[in-house]
Amino acid sequence: MAKPKVAVYWSAACGGCDVKVLDTNEKILDIAAAVDLLFWPIALDFKYKDVEEMADREIDLCIINGGIRNSEQEHIVKLLRRKSKVVAALGACAISGGIPALANLYDAQSILDYVYHKTTSIDNFQGPLPQPEYDAPEGRLTIPKFYDSVFALDQMIDVQYYIPGCPPPPSLIVKALTAFLQGTLPPPPATVAGEGSVCDECPRERNREAKVKKWKRIAQFTPPADTKKCLLDEGFFCLGPATQAGCEALCIKANIPCEGCMGKPQGVTDRGSKMLSYIASLTDASTEEEAKKILNDVVDQAGLLYRFDLPKSLIGGRRKE
Amino acid sequence: MKSVKSMQRISIDPITRLEGHGKIEIFLDENGEVVNAYFQVPELRGFEKFCQGRPVEELARIVPRI
Repeated sequence: MAKPKVAVYWSAACGGCDVKVLDTNEKILDIAAAVDLLFWPIALDFKYKDVEEMADREIDLCIINGGIRNSEQEHIVKLLRRKSKVVAALGACAISGGIPALANLYDAQSILDYVYHKTTSIDNFQGPLPQPEYDAPEGRLTIPKFYDSVFALDQMIDVQYYIPGCPPPPSLIVKALTAFLQGTLPPPPATVAGEGSVCDECPRERNREAKVKKWKRIAQFTPPADTKKCLLDEGFFCLGPATQAGCEALCIKANIPCEGCMGKPQGVTDRGSKMLSYIASLTDASTEEEAKKILNDVVDQAGLLYRFDLPKSLIGGRRKE
Repeated sequence: MKSVKSMQRISIDPITRLEGHGKIEIFLDENGEVVNAYFQVPELRGFEKFCQGRPVEELARIVPRI
């Protein structure tokens, strides 16, 4: 029987997801033996031209990581969608924009202006910005158009499976690939992750009586002798309750509050609102004024509540100046 | 400078087996000699901009995802 054909692509990604595919350790050898890899820019030397020459739906499984930041990425993921039977979004960026989507709080112009004109490390006296087209003496050169916002993959193409995390735990990648090879993937759309929220996997214990008078920053964190206490109860913004399970509370076990990279749990529409309702119920205030004061002291609420999912959030992104 | 019309072009797109995106355009004259080559990086994230105003201790968790 012919081996299933697999492609892996990255859009606006850091490469961490690709590395996590390799972090399946010795299982990567089984994966490589079980499938034909047709395209994987970080690891194999295939070109866009090779993808264009494939038949439609020739790829059995296309794993895409990274959000959509520019016109090239939109073009390639649409091309890959046409050439693939099944598309899986790997990692927070592909699923909901991820860290690069924090840029959605600004428009393209102000980002370009800052990066190419104002940063202290730049030396750009004539002040040009990158142009989509440039007529060099030898011929026209083109680069992709930089979009005004970052998009999640499924805002551009149909996606059947989601493997969350920043980066996704190798155990989930193995679980998804094994299910694909055995033909036991659930009916799409489906997320390959744990059950419930990160709190369900967390070894710390909630104290139902706990109240927080002042929310603290991680910089104020000194590991408590009692590592059993819930970080939220201790006054740290831990996104565990509003985050999909599947990471086995990796960060919290290292005394770092959850930043929510696994994305929102199943059935939650907006993760920031979900988290805010936890924060509100824990905040020790008797009047609205007092609550407002306590919460206004929290630095960078957008970055804490929507670090990985601005494109998929109710607030959307752009800050009204 | 040779005229633009006689230039042959070799595009290496994308550059592979590295971390990041890139493309190389190589221009050849009628004898097949390289006249010029352009290395292009089509990627920008804007970390310089969107890291502003965030707690400094959070940057250790934000910028590795570049």
